[in-house]
Amino acid sequence: MTDWNAISDVEFRKEVRQFFEAEYPEELRHLPHRPKFAEIEHWHRKLHAKGWVAPAWPAEFGGMGLNAAKLLIFYEEQQRWGVNRGRDMGVQMVGPLIIKFGTQEQKDYWLPRILSCEDIWCQGYSEPGAGSDLANLRTRAEIDGDDFVINGQKIWTTMAHDATHIFMLVRTDPDAPKKQQGISFLLAPMNQPGVDVRTITTLSGETEFCEVFFDNARTPRENLVGELNKGWTMAKALLSFERIFIGSPSLAQNALGQLESFARGRGAFDDPVFRDRFAQAALDVEDHAALYARFADQLKRGETLGADVSMLKIWVTECFQRITELMIEAAGPDGGSIGPLQVGNVSVDVLSSFYKARPTTIYGGSNEIQRNILSKAVLGLPG
Amino acid sequence: MTQTDILSSEQEDLRLLRESARTLFERAGGSDRARQLRDAGSGFDPEMVRELAEAGVFGVAVPEDQGGLGMGLAAGGVIAEEVGRVIAPEPVVLTIGLSLGLLRRLCPDHPKMAQLIGGEISLAVAWQERGPDGAPADATCRYADGKLTGGKAWVVGAIGSHGFLVVAEQDDGPVLVLAEADAQGLVIDKRTQADGSSLGELSFSGTPAVELARGGAVPTALAEAVADATALAAAELVGLSERAFEITLDYIKTREQFDKPIGSFQVIQHRAVELNVMCEVAQAGVREALAQMDSETDPKVRAPIASRAKARAVTAAKRITRDAIQLHGAVGYTDEFDIGLYLNRALVLSAWLGDDAYHRRIWFEAREAEGAAQ
Ligand SMILES: Cc1cc2nc3c(=O)[nH]c(=O)nc-3n(C[C@H](O)[C@H](O)[C@H](O)COP(=O)(O)OP(=O)(O)OC[C@H]3O[C@@H](n4cnc5c(N)ncnc54)[C@H](O)[C@@H]3O)c2cc1C
Repeated sequence: MTDWNAISDVEFRKEVRQFFEAEYPEELRHLPHRPKFAEIEHWHRKLHAKGWVAPAWPAEFGGMGLNAAKLLIFYEEQQRWGVNRGRDMGVQMVGPLIIKFGTQEQKDYWLPRILSCEDIWCQGYSEPGAGSDLANLRTRAEIDGDDFVINGQKIWTTMAHDATHIFMLVRTDPDAPKKQQGISFLLAPMNQPGVDVRTITTLSGETEFCEVFFDNARTPRENLVGELNKGWTMAKALLSFERIFIGSPSLAQNALGQLESFARGRGAFDDPVFRDRFAQAALDVEDHAALYARFADQLKRGETLGADVSMLKIWVTECFQRITELMIEAAGPDGGSIGPLQVGNVSVDVLSSFYKARPTTIYGGSNEIQRNILSKAVLGLPG
Repeated sequence: MTQTDILSSEQEDLRLLRESARTLFERAGGSDRARQLRDAGSGFDPEMVRELAEAGVFGVAVPEDQGGLGMGLAAGGVIAEEVGRVIAPEPVVLTIGLSLGLLRRLCPDHPKMAQLIGGEISLAVAWQERGPDGAPADATCRYADGKLTGGKAWVVGAIGSHGFLVVAEQDDGPVLVLAEADAQGLVIDKRTQADGSSLGELSFSGTPAVELARGGAVPTALAEAVADATALAAAELVGLSERAFEITLDYIKTREQFDKPIGSFQVIQHRAVELNVMCEVAQAGVREALAQMDSETDPKVRAPIASRAKARAVTAAKRITRDAIQLHGAVGYTDEFDIGLYLNRALVLSAWLGDDAYHRRIWFEAREAEGAAQ
């Protein structure tokens, strides 16, 4: 097995770039929508054969075992070439949680299936009454013989209509004194009579998220991860990981690249005002990457991240939004048009980037919630 | 009558006009109607166009001696605001500002005038052209021997209109011609926009068209009509912003998280206040601009006033609709909630006839030119 961390960053970058450029299917570059698995399956097979599905996982579990610096390079190259993330909730979210808190049996069973995409995961946290106030969740799971029986509703579940399994937070002790107590982390199969999935159309006309209804759905007791009623702390550990992931510069970098070629093609750089706005955005991205590297180094040294990691997400998501707004500006009279806009030999889907940027300040803990966290946990402000 | 009496009776007229337009749109189904029409893919509702005509909407800014109501652009703005509030897809600003704006200045006796005012037809106006880099370019579309050759881009209302008012070039200068929608050699390439409406890219190959006017008066009238439409589009954005804000205000009062309405969190309160102030500033600025345009005749003065209005309205609408989504959380990102319709319509209206950055530049350039002239 290759020890990727032993080779130089430059070499590593070269190798990753070569692989993507040689192997990634052209028709999947810069996909404007979230693909279903079938659409990207042929690519996933190549990635799996190469052993590159889970760059962040330790090598012993089938990952690449990349350190933070290498990981950053990997994601950068992925974005640069417009490589789709694929159906990565298994790899990005539930996998790391099982690695950290799962039993040996759970690791042996689930991890290979995540890598092969035999199981495709979705994240069932949010409910109609539990968004920012996630601890308010009501979906119940009760022990019945060898199973948990699940009743309730999840919402905004991304790609649930194309998932085989859901990892979820459920209430297992409704009488616990605090809302955060009495919550457990469960894995459940989607393909059963008690689970009903309905897609929700987004304002851009896509169907990428869903409502999931549980009516006496069942999952074996061994699908509880970690201790009963201790799901909240585990989920929070995962959230801080999610925050560095969505706080990474990649989305903004990718959008900036698209903005640059589009604006250049359209002659927008003739306008000094636009040049200034572009430079501002470009420097916002560059300096964010410097801040990101600081957190990445912390991980490299094996330290756990503090609440201050929230600042990455705030900065980069808002920067991403400004970049897509500049794209609209550069599009001039085409700024309200759906679909790819051709400039020279590049085509840029301005509105799809704009739409993609909007919810980044809502999901993964809204930016208002991140600001609340920073003001209390980092600045120590009262209240 | 004293000066103040005249002023207040004008205000009273506008108030009545606003009330009747609002009632009409609301009886027709408000924003639900816009959603239904979008889902049906049918553009706008010709029946609604006739009803609006009966209420005098299209002729509102046409002088009385030309068959209109003679109430000026300020009254057009009142109607445009109401259109914006319910995101109505009918070609109201297009007709009042552009089609009638051109015809009443160039050929007020043409029978199409009465048909437009009567809501029997709608006409799209085609004047911009796309260059090889995809951006706007100088006009090259030719008119000779009664036929058009070339192309036009970004034609609003191209689908569903009965014909096109095309600004073209002929040997001795510019010309305004009328091409029927089903004219021979006319191909319309349609591009769907965020709100479900379409922009037409027209290409003419020997397409028959009738000359309506020629010479230097054509570009002058076009610039005037574009200025009118720009200011009216600003008013439409003001109405849209106002309604988007109201919807959001209702939402943050009722949505509860952490056992209280999210509107009880101070950060949300301040954000709501900011949006409200932005809305009021835009409304005041745009209404004033429209009134000024009514009392000004010099095109060089009117154009930057229109730019002032559009710049402000676009800035406000973009910010208000985007923040509105944020304040709604995930439901704001769904099609099911109306707020997304407002965001999408704001995208389209912002791109039409120039966004805020564009109009701030125009405004500044006009100001500099004025300064240099003095
Ligand atoms: C595209 C998309 C994909 C998603 N995918 C998933 C998924 O796969 N799985 C999943 O479980 N969830 C998913 N979500 C849901 C996401 O996690 C929630 O949207 C998020 O937690 C916010 O909750 P909410 O939408 O209910 O908004 P609310 O919590 O109702 O918030 C509404 C507004 O109020 C603000 N607010 C709330 N509380 C406070 C406070 N205390 N102080 C200041 N402001 C506050 C918020 O910031 C927001 O602006 C997704 C959401 C989106 C938009």
